[in-house]
Amino acid sequence: MTPAPTLALLVLILAALAVAQALRRARLWRRGRPAHVDWLAGLKALPRRYLHDVHDVVARDPYAARMHAIAAGGLITASVLGVFGLVPALGHSPVYGALLALAFAAALAGGVMVGRRRSPVKPARLSGGRFRLVPPALTAYAGGGLLVGIAILAGPGFAALGWLGVALAAAGAAVLVYLLGDGPMRHVFAGALHLAAHPRSDRFEGGRETALHPVDLAAPQKLGAETPADFAWNRLLGFDACIQCGRCEVACPAFAAGQPLNPKKLIQDLVGSLAPGGAPYAGSPYPNARPVAGVGGPELPIVGLGAMVHPDTIWSCTTCRACVEECPMMIEHVDAIVDLRRFQTMELGAVPEKAVQPLLDLRQAEEPGGRALAARGDFAAGLALPKIQDRPAEARPAEVLLWLGEGAYDLRYGRTLRALVRLLGAAQVDFAVLGAEERDCGDLARRLGDEATFQDLARANIATLSRHRFGRILTADPHALHVIRNEYPAFGGHLEVVHHSSFLDELVAGGRLAVGDLGAALPGAVTYHDPCYLGRYNGETEAPRRLLDRLGLERREMARSGKRSMCCGGGGGAPVADIEGERRIPDLRMGQASETGAAIVAVACPTCTAMLEGVTGARPEVRDIAELLLAAVEAAPPAAAPARQRQPEPVA
Amino acid sequence: MKVLVLLSAGRHPASGRAGPVPVELAAVRLGASLGGADLAGLHAGPDADAVADALGHGLARLHLQPLAPDADPLGALEAAVRRLAPDLVLAGNRGQGGEDAGLLPYALAARLGRPIVADAVALASDGDGLVAEQALGRGARRRVELALPAVVTVHPSAPPPLPFAFGRRRSGTIERLPAFAADAPAPAAPFEERPYRKRPKLIAKAAAGASAADRLKAATEAASGGGRVLVAPDPAEAAAEILAHLRAIGVLKR
Repeated sequence: MTPAPTLALLVLILAALAVAQALRRARLWRRGRPAHVDWLAGLKALPRRYLHDVHDVVARDPYAARMHAIAAGGLITASVLGVFGLVPALGHSPVYGALLALAFAAALAGGVMVGRRRSPVKPARLSGGRFRLVPPALTAYAGGGLLVGIAILAGPGFAALGWLGVALAAAGAAVLVYLLGDGPMRHVFAGALHLAAHPRSDRFEGGRETALHPVDLAAPQKLGAETPADFAWNRLLGFDACIQCGRCEVACPAFAAGQPLNPKKLIQDLVGSLAPGGAPYAGSPYPNARPVAGVGGPELPIVGLGAMVHPDTIWSCTTCRACVEECPMMIEHVDAIVDLRRFQTMELGAVPEKAVQPLLDLRQAEEPGGRALAARGDFAAGLALPKIQDRPAEARPAEVLLWLGEGAYDLRYGRTLRALVRLLGAAQVDFAVLGAEERDCGDLARRLGDEATFQDLARANIATLSRHRFGRILTADPHALHVIRNEYPAFGGHLEVVHHSSFLDELVAGGRLAVGDLGAALPGAVTYHDPCYLGRYNGETEAPRRLLDRLGLERREMARSGKRSMCCGGGGGAPVADIEGERRIPDLRMGQASETGAAIVAVACPTCTAMLEGVTGARPEVRDIAELLLAAVEAAPPAAAPARQRQPEPVA
Repeated sequence: MKVLVLLSAGRHPASGRAGPVPVELAAVRLGASLGGADLAGLHAGPDADAVADALGHGLARLHLQPLAPDADPLGALEAAVRRLAPDLVLAGNRGQGGEDAGLLPYALAARLGRPIVADAVALASDGDGLVAEQALGRGARRRVELALPAVVTVHPSAPPPLPFAFGRRRSGTIERLPAFAADAPAPAAPFEERPYRKRPKLIAKAAAGASAADRLKAATEAASGGGRVLVAPDPAEAAAEILAHLRAIGVLKR
């Protein structure tokens, strides 16, 4: 026996133990609900998903990307090479020894980099605890392998060095196996399987699958998730994939505002509920955490004062998807939160106090403020707001159906919609509104977990929309856009929806709107705040910027913009849930806007408008892109404006 | 304790959609607050569509007393209450979207021969009886004790209804009671319906032309009751005081 085959055996034992640990863990996942998984397609797509989707996210932190490539690549290459030590001829081959030494040297460098990340001071977003065992275990295993490689390279006289290497590698391997079952190394197999069996297989390779999955309200099982066993098994697998890198907690607006939510801790609480008594959590806690009993189990409730997670935690979420966008393990935090909310809302009726009335009004008046649907058009007093019901039957379909949304009832946002209606008039767009037939799109109900009310609203809206003839739906509300475009198809509504930023950009590009230079009228730069439901949920980040650039304004970007933008705090029913924190999310976001030195924050969403307008003190002005465009159209030189004489109005 | 909550088919004031009446849902919550009470709802009408959502607001069972759409529900309700024999009948202090006169609970209590306490905002059981907190004008509260069986109406300032939970509505049961032979169609409403028109506001005569502070005083003082508070008075003195007051406000001519 020489060191080379012993190392090979060690690697094989390590692999066998890894499989055993994975199987043990898989027994836990199987306690979840069944889920349809296309294994063949998933496994086939696994390398692409890993190299493309995962790497794109990991590479946002270049150090972590290099570290992971060297550590994981080195470890796997070296271990596979190590198995070849069983071939007797290779056991003394200097070439083999050199290759082995090289691969293990890479893994060793990776292990050192892993260690350096936490030294001298562990960054707040990273976890301690068992994570501190990873660098020594990795370096011991890789260092031991390196010694074996050197011993083979150096020749038969150096067997003692080889044995020392084997001993070191065995010690490291033992710790790694320990960390594989219940520790940081679990992400190796859980992450790989999660990529293959991902519950949202269409989100990879440039796809965007952001619609919430519908609940079968007629199914006999309970609605939403009460216990870990109520999640689909591949969701439980996803929670296990978490490597606690903390990118989600850095991105989370509720965490930043000191509300009791930390996506990383929440996922670990879900893991801890499934497998109580596991590795203790050693990362950042929930800010201002409310006390809970901390009792959990596969069949025990997750949310509650006597359980693992305080209700305030799940109601703090704005469903902005920033955590999902940042997660290198492709975990779907928002789905988990909405599933937990669904059980709270639909089975327990345990919604936040201030959300009760809006949900009741959505049910009884199809509008969260309990206002008359016919009053939705009141903002347009004095402007022509043609109703689609008034169009003659023989007329051609309206070019666009203007979906006014919830913002129409808001006085501030009414100004934006007035600007939009005037722009449509100036561009001679043939548009119409639904009038009293427009119900709420159901976004609020769905995010608050009231799937039943959402489905009622969705079906009623789809029936209404299918009765009328129009080209596409135009809306200034990204929440309505997302719901109608991405979530109504599950209920049979396949509708083309365009956001007003894209539509207005088309109008200007097509020459239907003549635009003047706003630079003189509005001195100072403008910065654009991406609405989550437009940018992250729908990938539309370019049209609004293109439009702003056409207006002759200096555009500056905030540190967080585009798909990695920060939420205004208004999504997911968070304003009605109103969970107390230390700061307000819109204040934080407005602070980021102020940092750019811009005089104007351009917005494109009624919720963002309301949240950012609520910021007090000296701050940039909040203007919707429709308002800015209208100002630019009015600033256009008269010759360029369409030669349309207004009829003088009769004067009483 | 057996508690029966009367549920009427309401209409949402803005949308006009049929649904349960909020103050009756608040009555469900008060009933549930009694703890351990056997709580059920009762609706008299052609179907339970409008009130079925009450099952999602904390009511596990709902009795439907089938009744023709335009029949007077009083007799049917009386028969159903006698059949179900609850200790406590809870009702909203008025409906929403119908006549909204608020008279039905009184008429029903009279037919059943039970005492009625109006405008409760809190209930607590007290041995065989009940302690109810009544809402009076201007935020005042009065605690009354009553013996059961009784009828209690609930005031809108009672705690708001329990949140709607679809799963509970789904698992709630609706039991049909035997048909009731309607004694008479509902009496024709002695009034006509007209669209609401805002009336011009009248400024109190005494305060017209006076300073803003005077007008405010007049506006707020007009609603106050006045009178004297007598604590544990002699019966004869009390009677004399009542007579004097009735004469003062013109109820008694001499």
